Amino acid sequence: MQDVLHQLALGFVHLTTPVNALALAVGLVVGMLVAVLPGLTLVMGVVLALPFTYGMGITESIVLLTAMYLSGTYGGAFTSILFRIPGEPLDVPLLWDGYPMARQGQPAKALGWVLLAALAGGLITAVSAVALAVPFAKFALRFDAPEYFAIVLFGLSGVVALSGGSLAKGVISLCVGLLLATVGVDDTYGADRFTFGIPILKDGIEYLTVMVGAYGLGEVLTRMEQGFVTPAMESDRKVETRLPRWREIRPLRGTVLRSSLIGVICGIVPGAGATVGSFVAYGVEAQYGARRNKLGTGIPEGIVAPQLASTATVGGHMVPLLALGIPGSGATAVILGAFLLHGVQPGPQIFQTSGDMVYTIFASMFAAVIGMCLLGYFAIKPLIWVLRLPEAATSAFVALFCFVGAYSARNSLTDLWMIVIFGVVGYLFERYRFPIAPMVLGCILGPVAENSFMTSMIAYQNDWTIFFTRPISGVVMAFTVLALAWPLYRHVRGVLRARHAAPRIGGLGPEAKP
Amino acid sequence: MKVRFSEVAPYAALLAGAAYLYHDTRRFAALGRAGQLGPDFWPKAVLVLLIAVCAIEIVRRVLAAGAAPERAAPRAEAPAQAHDEEPPREWRLLAAGIGLTVLYVPGIEYLGFFLATIVFLAAFMWVGRYRRPRIVAAASIVGSFAFVFVFMKVVYVSLPLGWGPFRVFSAWIMAALGIR
Repeated sequence: MQDVLHQLALGFVHLTTPVNALALAVGLVVGMLVAVLPGLTLVMGVVLALPFTYGMGITESIVLLTAMYLSGTYGGAFTSILFRIPGEPLDVPLLWDGYPMARQGQPAKALGWVLLAALAGGLITAVSAVALAVPFAKFALRFDAPEYFAIVLFGLSGVVALSGGSLAKGVISLCVGLLLATVGVDDTYGADRFTFGIPILKDGIEYLTVMVGAYGLGEVLTRMEQGFVTPAMESDRKVETRLPRWREIRPLRGTVLRSSLIGVICGIVPGAGATVGSFVAYGVEAQYGARRNKLGTGIPEGIVAPQLASTATVGGHMVPLLALGIPGSGATAVILGAFLLHGVQPGPQIFQTSGDMVYTIFASMFAAVIGMCLLGYFAIKPLIWVLRLPEAATSAFVALFCFVGAYSARNSLTDLWMIVIFGVVGYLFERYRFPIAPMVLGCILGPVAENSFMTSMIAYQNDWTIFFTRPISGVVMAFTVLALAWPLYRHVRGVLRARHAAPRIGGLGPEAKP
Repeated sequence: MKVRFSEVAPYAALLAGAAYLYHDTRRFAALGRAGQLGPDFWPKAVLVLLIAVCAIEIVRRVLAAGAAPERAAPRAEAPAQAHDEEPPREWRLLAAGIGLTVLYVPGIEYLGFFLATIVFLAAFMWVGRYRRPRIVAAASIVGSFAFVFVFMKVVYVSLPLGWGPFRVFSAWIMAALGIR
């Protein structure tokens, strides 16, 4: 424990270098801006920042992206509460109590509650990341190829199971990502796979082009098809923050405890993430909160629970990312991409080989939480000014960032064509409601999954039962089966209930429906 | 019994694509070693899963349409997604957007990054119905300058200069910005 605190203190010292401090500050501001703008999602913002990290060192790159990730979970709250515009999907629950509180003439108080929740969630998430990462990594040192395959499979299954609500669409998206990862020369045999005689495909498809195209350009095309119809900002709304008093905070201890726990758990479980955390925390508050009957009328619990939980997921996500090299969300997939672009493979060894970097990242999380709250308190007025920019203009620049970002990776015009192709694929995924995250994660984790699977098969003479007979991989595989079976069970139950209920409703006639 | 084409089309297209790729795995299947799984095993496993899921979804939708033609088939999406109110879709705007992005790639190659970007930004804003010519022109030119400066001078990315006279013009812009 002392060693961890010592390393963390050193991390704070490293964070004071001008480059790291600048990366932190820029990450906080850009993360806020991205979250405020309805056309830009948090993941998209992190993706668009990735090309700027090529020329940076690994530590400042990750500090920048992590700061964006953290402040991105907070920035969208302002537009949700003040203008009823959720900047991110995770901000939707804030509409239910934050906006009513603002409408009741207490916008400053609503912003104060959200700031407090972001501060509490951020500090809890940073502490949990520091406390859990090392035990996670020590445990992971026992892993061999079968365990890695089981863990990667669990990560992928979790993302599939929890993304978008449709298991079939999640599996399809994942398969597309895994197939994209197989394009090029394979590692085991050196065979050309799916290259169709095109030389550039021998190097494989850059996951960066998949991420940037599908998330960035795909979203731009979707919004263009909708005619850039984001509602205009009401310019006369007052923007200031008033912090709640201690006697107002005390009754919310249960809410804070529940939402913190939900946030951290949703962070560690692959695929759950900030949006799921936010909705689950609000749902739990609606079921078990002391004032559950008043939820939706503009009470603090309805603001604190979703905001705290969504911010608290960040640290949880960083634990499997750093300790196992498994990203549990779209944003952490991009951060993993930044690690790989700099030639660093996260995993249990990273605490020995790059301890300074890891603890600087942890220190940056603490600093980012404080920084984002200060930014939210003092500088939110100029930040939300960006809402006045026409959406067509911001989208044009986002599309441009996508192109330049993809080109920068290899200075290849072919990657620009890839961006166009994956932009259209991303649009089609949005159009037909296929989740994009499993495709991106499949693309990044596909090679890890295939290599660990093939290594296991070679080492254990094609005995596939090895994944189930070794204790750790067996347990993880059981969790994988559960992760896939649970949504399937819920789906089948839902269909059966709908079939059972349909004739009854039909019998009562349309006027009987609520 | 009537199945909406748009409901089945994505799965049918994916199924056809997966079947084609499965057929293509024969080209590299022979490269494996005896007694070991070959390079085709992993992609084949993924393709089988993809084909199976697509087939199940197609059958499920066809059966649902046949069993209850008067009712909508049960939606697999989350309730929040299924009941979201969406703005009307304008395919002309989408086609124009895709067209602009497609044209931008050869545009960069022939006109160079600076000129192609000015045209792209201006056209994108105009097509996106932002019709204030002076602001569009200013944002496009300043934006293009900013991108060239940041990416070529700060991040050291070698952006395309174009061909012939456009290359000369790009070099002149670079010199004006102090980029070597």
